[in-house]
Amino acid sequence: MTFRTRLLVVFTLTVVASVGMVEWLVTRATRKAFERLESQRADFLVAQFQREFDRRGQEIVRAVRDIALSDAAVNVAIASDTSADYNEASAMARAHGLGLLELVSGDGAIVSSAEWPVRFGYVEDWLTAPAGWKPGVAFLRREELPDGFTLALMAVETVNAGGRQLYVAGGQQLDRDFLSTLVLPTGMRVLLYRNLEPQFAPHLLAGTSDAAADAPEFQPLIERVIRERRPRVATLGSGAAAETVHALPLTGIEDNLLAVLLISSSRRELVELENSLGRNGAWVAAGAILTGMLMAAWATARVTRPVRRLAESAGQVAAGNWDATVEVTSRDEVGQLAQAFNRMTHELVEQRQRLVQTERVAAWRELARRLAHELKNPLFPLQITVENMQRARESHPAEFDEVFREGSRTLLAELANLKQIIARFSDFAKMPAPEMQPVNLNALAAETMKLFEAQFTQAHVTARADLAPDLPTVAADPEQIARALRNLVLNAIDAMPDGGALTVRTMPQGSGARLEISDSGKGLSQEECERLFTPYYTTKTHGTGLGLAIVQSVVSDHHGRVSVESQPGKGTTFRIDLG
Amino acid sequence: MNTDRKKKVLSVFIGVYRWLSMDSARRVARAVALLLLCALAITASAATRPRYGGTLRIEIHASIETADPPQLGPGMPDLAPAFSITRWEAGRRAAFAADENAPGGRPFLDAVEVELARSPRDQAIDLDVGKAEMIEIPPSEARRQPAGRRTWASRPVRVVLLDFGTRVDDPRVREALALAVDRAAIFNVLLQRQGEISGALLPQWLSGFAFVFNAASDAAKARELAAAVPAPARSFSIGVEDAALRPIAERIALNARDAGLAVSLAAQAGAADVRLIEVRIASADPPRALAAIAATLGLAAPVRTDSPDPLYNAERALLEGFRVVPLFHLADVYGVAARVKGGPGISPLGEWRLENVWLESGRP
Repeated sequence: MTFRTRLLVVFTLTVVASVGMVEWLVTRATRKAFERLESQRADFLVAQFQREFDRRGQEIVRAVRDIALSDAAVNVAIASDTSADYNEASAMARAHGLGLLELVSGDGAIVSSAEWPVRFGYVEDWLTAPAGWKPGVAFLRREELPDGFTLALMAVETVNAGGRQLYVAGGQQLDRDFLSTLVLPTGMRVLLYRNLEPQFAPHLLAGTSDAAADAPEFQPLIERVIRERRPRVATLGSGAAAETVHALPLTGIEDNLLAVLLISSSRRELVELENSLGRNGAWVAAGAILTGMLMAAWATARVTRPVRRLAESAGQVAAGNWDATVEVTSRDEVGQLAQAFNRMTHELVEQRQRLVQTERVAAWRELARRLAHELKNPLFPLQITVENMQRARESHPAEFDEVFREGSRTLLAELANLKQIIARFSDFAKMPAPEMQPVNLNALAAETMKLFEAQFTQAHVTARADLAPDLPTVAADPEQIARALRNLVLNAIDAMPDGGALTVRTMPQGSGARLEISDSGKGLSQEECERLFTPYYTTKTHGTGLGLAIVQSVVSDHHGRVSVESQPGKGTTFRIDLG
Repeated sequence: MNTDRKKKVLSVFIGVYRWLSMDSARRVARAVALLLLCALAITASAATRPRYGGTLRIEIHASIETADPPQLGPGMPDLAPAFSITRWEAGRRAAFAADENAPGGRPFLDAVEVELARSPRDQAIDLDVGKAEMIEIPPSEARRQPAGRRTWASRPVRVVLLDFGTRVDDPRVREALALAVDRAAIFNVLLQRQGEISGALLPQWLSGFAFVFNAASDAAKARELAAAVPAPARSFSIGVEDAALRPIAERIALNARDAGLAVSLAAQAGAADVRLIEVRIASADPPRALAAIAATLGLAAPVRTDSPDPLYNAERALLEGFRVVPLFHLADVYGVAARVKGGPGISPLGEWRLENVWLESGRP
């Protein structure tokens, strides 16, 4: 991954993280605000329910009191025979808008019951029991009806007339009708679970809508409130259907938990708000991210352009263009780096020029030394031969002819030697450009091995060719490569004066081919290996030191690579890689 | 002689004295005025004199939906042969006209109109406002009648009883319910002490031994019996067709609950496990009456006898096993408008006897 890409990724991630953080903060703040509002609405509804509860209680107290003060109630109270009054409660209840009404004699026996007329004569112990209820105060009570129990808001008054007492107990059922009178804000609903049976029963859940269907959802919360007798808040459902439910226990005069009031607030608005925020946030985030990416791309391009130029210049330098420089466009760290790079390349160029100069001088010195050395060897016999011939003419004229013939042969041999030395130097100087053509190195190696068969025998060298059959052809000048190969074979034979093993091996190397020439000679030291391809360097007592230089020159002209691997006493292997 | 008549006689004497003390002219004038007054008085007397004929309007609670008017039973069938039916609207009304050739002679009334399916409340209102002359009075309303209202009542001729179906096959359950029913409370309150508490099929006035049959409740024993029965058998339904009997059925269900029985009111009386029904005493002859009741209830026909002991045994045999539990004997009670004269218009068995009834006309 490039520096620019990494920078771009970092910038993008930063923008995304920032936008995400802002989105999260906004959503969190919104949710908190909504929950605060929802809590206020729930509190308001609880207060409203309490007011409605109190108002209904006062209405019931008033109605019961009116009944107790009526002549009809007094007549029932003073009647010695109340059997004819068993229907009185129904009429009174209708007249005063009560759903429940019982007229109970002083001994607790029901005289008349509006909700259950045939229950006359049965005893209502709770009325005569010591003060659970108080006159003028409405309270919750579990009332029995023909079809089961119900929850009622009740009030009790007494009628004392003619030395007799009559209890007037009236009220209203707390049911769906009661709840439907509550004015609810949008998205809120009120349900009432009437705790009339030992176990949870769905039909006891009354609400402004069909609450029984929702009963399973509310059941755990209701059971928990009944168990703990404390208000609880819970979120039920999920997604847009979720709702926050405040559950309040309602107790009767005997401190028995008779009902659980459930005030439910839909979270649909919150969810829709969150969805809206999410959608808008996504658009904004997408825009911000896109903008951020564009700006990041621009910024990274601006920041990385000098670095990229620096890298390109460094690449040029690596490729050999030592004159490459970087344009300095700023004074910041990148500009300082560019200046440093330019200084470095400038110094490198100067150092290279100095090195070239030095090497050129050294080369000339080496050439002069070599030439002196090579030329001095033949000159000394020439000088000795000429002096012998002069001495024989002056001192032994009779033997002069013999000496002259012998001396002439020697002079001619040494002159031929001089000529050969000069030809070698001339060949090295005249290395032509390679003429490329497809070359099968296996064939080339085989020919070379055949050419040297006689010398191998004479030098007691065992030659072996290990040629890869699937070796690809390479583009090369066969003449020059053959010449390089011959030089290496000769070099190997020279390295084994007491005989040994020589192996020529070919093998595929990538898309090209490798040629290896190994000997089992005494090997080379590390220093010798490093200097081996230097012109005119030789470890032998004879030779010009140009053989391996020629090999390197040929391989280099073929854009190949020549290397040597050797350890003292373990032989030497030369490798030529050609593409 | 009442006070009004004394005042009239005294005023006549005062008038004669004043007439004798006047001069002749004034005496003549006074005589003429007196003659005129006498003529007026005679005319007024003719207007208020009873006039035979008229149409008697009767309202009943039953809604008879049959295509043809009923031919048997109390009520309209009793009108024959003095009256013959002229119009029949099932479930609404029936009209009868006096038969000029009736065996006992033409009835006083010209016609009888019967309105069907009238609630007790509507009947009472119609009687008060003069839209009906004869209405039924249910027991619960008997004590609420205005002072001075005329009523015609039969002997207790309707036996209210529990008739168990085959599903309640455990006699302990039936006995438990029979003992659980608080007849006294129902009699005192729901029936307003009309009729008689009874554990017998035949009423006391007819058989003379009805009091021997137990009619007292025993809640403790009822609970004991119910507790010995498996729970599923303790649960059954009670049905009632007559709305007037529904409060009694509800009370019985309440009493049953106290005994440990789960009795619910069935929506369809025909499908109930036990029915609360009325059976009418069809004959003043006890053996015939008992046989008719047994036939109505699908019980085995009792042995035909005219002596009390076998009759008692026969009735006891019918009640053995509590397949049938008699509760009350009720009379037929009718409220009658003041202008209905003659009568009584019903027999001791509750049959309509309107041949000798007429209406006092208030019209001139």
